[in-house]
Order: sequence, then C-alpha cells, then structure tokens
Amino acid sequence: MTPETLLWLLPVVPAVTALAMLAVRDRRILSAIDVTGSATLATLALLLARAVATTGPHALGVFRADDLGLVFLLLLATLTLAVSIYTVGWLREAVASGEMQADSLRYYFALVHGFVATMVVTILADNLGVLWIAMEGTTITSAVLVGFHGHRYGLEAAWKYIIVTTIGISFGLFGTVLIYAAASTHVGAGASAMSWAAVMAVAPQLDPGIVQIGFVFAMVGYGTKAGLAPMHLWLPDAHSQAPTPVSALLSGVLIKCALLGIIRFQTIAAAACGVGLPAQVLMVFGLISIVVATPFILAQHDLKRLLGYHSVEHIGIVALALGFGGPIGTYGALLHVINHGITKALVFFAAGTAIARYGTRDMRVIRGMFAVAPIGATLLMLAALSLAGTPPFSIFISELTVLRAGIGPGHWLAVAIFLTMVVVIFAGILHHVGAMTFGRPSTVASRAPEAWSPLLAMALLAAIMILLGLTIPPTFDTLLRRATEVVLG
Amino acid sequence: MSPSTTAAIINDLGALLLFTMLLILAAGQVYRAIYAVAAQSLFIAIAGAVLALATHNADLWLIAAITLVVKAMVLPWVLHRVLQRLNVRREVEPVVPIAVTLVLAVAVVVMAFHLSGSLGAVQQAITGNALPVGIAITLLGVLVMATRKKALTQMVGLFASENGIFFVAIAATQGMPLIIEIGVILDVILAALVMAILVLRVRSTVAADVADLSRLRG
Repeated sequence: MTPETLLWLLPVVPAVTALAMLAVRDRRILSAIDVTGSATLATLALLLARAVATTGPHALGVFRADDLGLVFLLLLATLTLAVSIYTVGWLREAVASGEMQADSLRYYFALVHGFVATMVVTILADNLGVLWIAMEGTTITSAVLVGFHGHRYGLEAAWKYIIVTTIGISFGLFGTVLIYAAASTHVGAGASAMSWAAVMAVAPQLDPGIVQIGFVFAMVGYGTKAGLAPMHLWLPDAHSQAPTPVSALLSGVLIKCALLGIIRFQTIAAAACGVGLPAQVLMVFGLISIVVATPFILAQHDLKRLLGYHSVEHIGIVALALGFGGPIGTYGALLHVINHGITKALVFFAAGTAIARYGTRDMRVIRGMFAVAPIGATLLMLAALSLAGTPPFSIFISELTVLRAGIGPGHWLAVAIFLTMVVVIFAGILHHVGAMTFGRPSTVASRAPEAWSPLLAMALLAAIMILLGLTIPPTFDTLLRRATEVVLG
Repeated sequence: MSPSTTAAIINDLGALLLFTMLLILAAGQVYRAIYAVAAQSLFIAIAGAVLALATHNADLWLIAAITLVVKAMVLPWVLHRVLQRLNVRREVEPVVPIAVTLVLAVAVVVMAFHLSGSLGAVQQAITGNALPVGIAITLLGVLVMATRKKALTQMVGLFASENGIFFVAIAATQGMPLIIEIGVILDVILAALVMAILVLRVRSTVAADVADLSRLRG
C-alpha cells in the first residue's frame, strides 16, 4: 500500500468499524469487530510509520504524516488496541452488574470508534481548520460517552465537559482565524493558507503581533482541551465519570491530541516571533497545572478522580518540558507523552477492575487487593510506581530528561517547583496505592477469579512501560529525534 | 462599493453586534437572550453579504446564507423548543447582578479596542473595526456563560461567543475557506444538539437544570 492510501485509510477504518457495529446486537460479535477494527488500525499505523521512516513525510490533501504526528498516532493505535482487548472482559462484567445496558451496547461501541476516528483526523490533519473541526468532533463524540451511564453524575460531568471545552476550543478557532489572516497575505487565500506546512514555510515573514495574539488564543483553546490549569475544571469530572475504557482513551490519548495542536501553533509562533513568548506561556501554564493538581491528589478519596487530577499534573509536566524547549526539553516532552499515555491507560484499567471488584470508587473501602486479586494488584502497584516516577519505569526516564532540560538553561525556580511537587505527589500516590493493595481485604471485596482479557491488555501496556524504562529501542529513538527536529524547525 | 464604504458598513454592523451583545447581557428572561442572539447572527449574515458584494467572492455569499439559516434560524429555534419543553421558570438567574456584568462588559470592550489598537499591521488584513469587536464579543460570550446559572443561557453565551469569531473570520480579507466554514458549522450544530439532549435528559431524570448540578467537587 502506498503511504497516500494509508493516509486516507487510517481515519476511514474506525469510521467504517463504527458504522458496521450499528447493525449488530450481540455482545460477542460486537467485541470481535471492536478488536478486529483496532488491530487493523494498529497495523496500518505501523505501516505508515515504516513508510515515513524510509521516505520522509507524506501529504494527501488536508492530511499529512510527519514524524511528530506519528509519535501521537502510534500512541493512539496502541491504546485503542489495548482498550478493545480490555473491553471484552470489562463489558461482560459491566453487563452482568447492570452498569451497561445490553441493548445499547452497539451505540457505545459505535461512539468509541467514532471518537477514535476523530482523534485520528486531529493527528493527521495538516490543515489547521480541519484540526479544529476534528478536535470539536472529539468533544461531541466523547461527551456522549462521558454521560453514557445516564445517571446524574455522568450527565453533570458530560454537560460541564461539553460546555467548557466547546467554549475553550472556540478560542482555538479564533487563534486559527488570526493565523490564517496573517498567512493569507503571503500564501494567498483558500484552504492552503490554513495548511500547517504552508504556514511554516512563510512563518518568518508573518506579522509577529497578530501571530502572538493568535498563539495565545490557540494556547488557551487547545489548552482547555488538554486539561491545563486553570482551564482544567471539567477534566477530573469527565475522566472519572466516563466508563473505564473511555477514561483510558480520554486521559491517555485525547489530551495528548490537544497537546499536538498546541505544538503545531507553538512551532508557528516560534518561527514568526522567536521562541521566547511561546516558551514562557507554556512554562507558566505547565507550572500552574502541576501546582494546582497537587493538593487535590493528596486529599482525594475517589480513585478515578485521583487519576484525573494526576493527568492535569502530567500534562503540566509536558507543557513545562515544551517550555524549557531545546532538543532535550522537546525530546523529553514527546517521550513523556508516550510514557504517560501508556502508564495512565494501564492504571485506569487496573483501577477499573479494582472498582468492579469492590463495588465502589472510594479508596478508603478498597483495601487488601493483593489478597483477592494478586495479578491485578501487582499491575496496579507497578503502574502507580511508574506514575509516581520511580525508577526503573518509563516515567522516571522522561521526568529526568525534563529536569535536565530545565537545569541546562538555568530555569532554577521552575525546576525547584517541579521537583517539590513531584516529590509530594510521589508520597501521596504511594500512600493511596499502598493502602489499597496491602493489608486485610475489606468485607465488600469480591473473590471472583480475575478475567483474562483485562489482564492481557494490562500486561501488554505494562510490558511497554517497563521496556521504555529500561531502554529506548533505536527505531523509536530515531522517531523521537526526528519529531524533535520537526518541532524545533 | 468602495473599500471605505465597506469599512463604514462593517463598522456600523460591528456597533449593532456589540449592542445585541449588551442586550444578551442585560436580558432578564431567557427568551429575550435567545432573540438577541438570533438578531446578532442575522447582522453577521448581513456583514457577510456586504463583503460578498464588495469583494465579488461567491464563497462569501454561501457563507452568509449558511450563517443566516443555521445561526439566525435553526439554532435559536432549537433553543426555543428546549425552553418550551422545559416549561420552567424563565428568569435568567444571574450569579452576579446584571448591573455588575454590564460594568465588566464595558471594561472588556475598552480592553479589546485598546489591544487591537496596538496592532497596526493587523488592521490592514481585517476590515474596519472587526477585530476588536470580534474579540470583545468572544470574551463577553464567556462572561455570559460564567455569570448565568441556566443551561440555556450558557448555550446562548456560547453561540454569541462563536459569533464573534465568525465576524472576524468573515471580515478577514476573504473569509474562512468555504470547506472549513462548513465543517465548523456542522460541528456547531452537532454540539448544540448534544447539549439540548443533555439538558432534556437531566430534566427528565432528576428534574433539575443541568447547569445547577454540583455534586462533583474536590
């Protein structure tokens, strides 16, 4: 298959999968289609990665595949596959417990794949307008998924999510329009003046004033969607109320897609008015996110909200790393995107199985998981250790890289704040997870055997997490280096 | 039409847009806010038609027509239907007094003009005072959303905010590319429908306004 064919096939596959599922009612067949669709997507993503590695970036109409987009595409494909495998066992249990209605499953699956299709488009979009349209598309599809359970908490979270991110992302549209207005005098009007590649080619000649305002608007817009504080208020609600597989996609991939949008605008702004302004803006948002998330992580009792706030912290770390900039900072940011995505999906999976076993999300009730579900508890512990930044897991490596990027140019204050918060959160996470896994199991704990498919999905992610902590494979290292070059121009 | 005439007309329309925005901010009843946002969208469609006449850009005619149908007619109609279905108290229920929001609004408008005044080169790319008016309306839409409790008023604020962006997009030299404009409008319609469904679902399951739910904290 030519790379151009792959470019249009990639968004089409999940879209067709979604449509096919609407015609099916049986849970087993739906799960089979789900896994097949996700596996196909992952295969195509790998093929595209190989094509781009050998022959460079490819473009087709409004789509373009470069190394930067591939980093995010590979994360999306991996997590989608893991989510599909996890869903098989999770769904059987959720239907049995009445959490999911058997007759609405096809809508659930169709929405998940529609959601994936919109995320594929945001990643492959070269046209900034298409990027925006797809980004709003992710909000619409995932908002329905957040409220899918239909109880008042889910609906409240869905409302907050759709209203806050829609207004936020409209700032992103404003930023896009301003950059387009600046670029159209150089490139000429028409859809091509919204192409990121075309804008980058003329970026040094753009009017710095308008690009600055455009960048700040885009930063606030896509930053809302990425969950950067102080625009993060919807995130803990949405990520905690969504069905667990959707939580994993929201925290693992979607906020990273929004971050890719920020990076696209950051590169334009850096080329048009110097790296100073975008770097400062990113650093400020990053630090605010890290600081704001900390107390909520420490004082949290709801397991999934804890993970939501934790995503705010980590997206802050990525923004901070992008702000530190330079080859090390950018490399660290992209590595952290992958590491956090994999680890966060894993920990959401583990949390989901724990919640199903204890029938509550209150961490004061989830006790002694090692005794009732040894494999799940081990995976939860491993993921939490990685999330807290313990060596030898992957997040330790990327946080260390980010730290080095901050120390190099001498951002001492930012480094000090970052280190303090990471240490405090380290203690908080280990306290929470230690209490959940060790000790005597509480009486509400179910002693049913652990289902195989969630364990398989978790083992897959845990293997990647540990591998990336021990070594970064040469092909992956090359991809990250090339992506770093794309960001630095 | 000479460029100066066009700029003058766009400036007049910009003033009307700001006026409708103040009507939304000052509205004590939800249906008034809905009518005001419909009028605002109508003025934006007129602005599109004026610029289409001046620049002979066929795409702009289409954009103006879409804006007229979708933003001035369909979306207000959806809001109105939801309002009727809800059948509740129709007052806006501001979180802070309306007079205070109006004072804040004046500050926002002044700030927007001040900010755009510092951008000499930018002004050439965008007709008339569209940029400061657009920025002001976008921010004021957010102000409406932040200071009103009712879900429907928050939706009105959202649409007003988007109107500000559409105005700048129309007034920026050639308007947004048609294909992008259509995609954006589609998103707006879909988002509005999902929001309307959420409002009605919450009404039927817990008999409350969705924007009033506040169990998720901490």
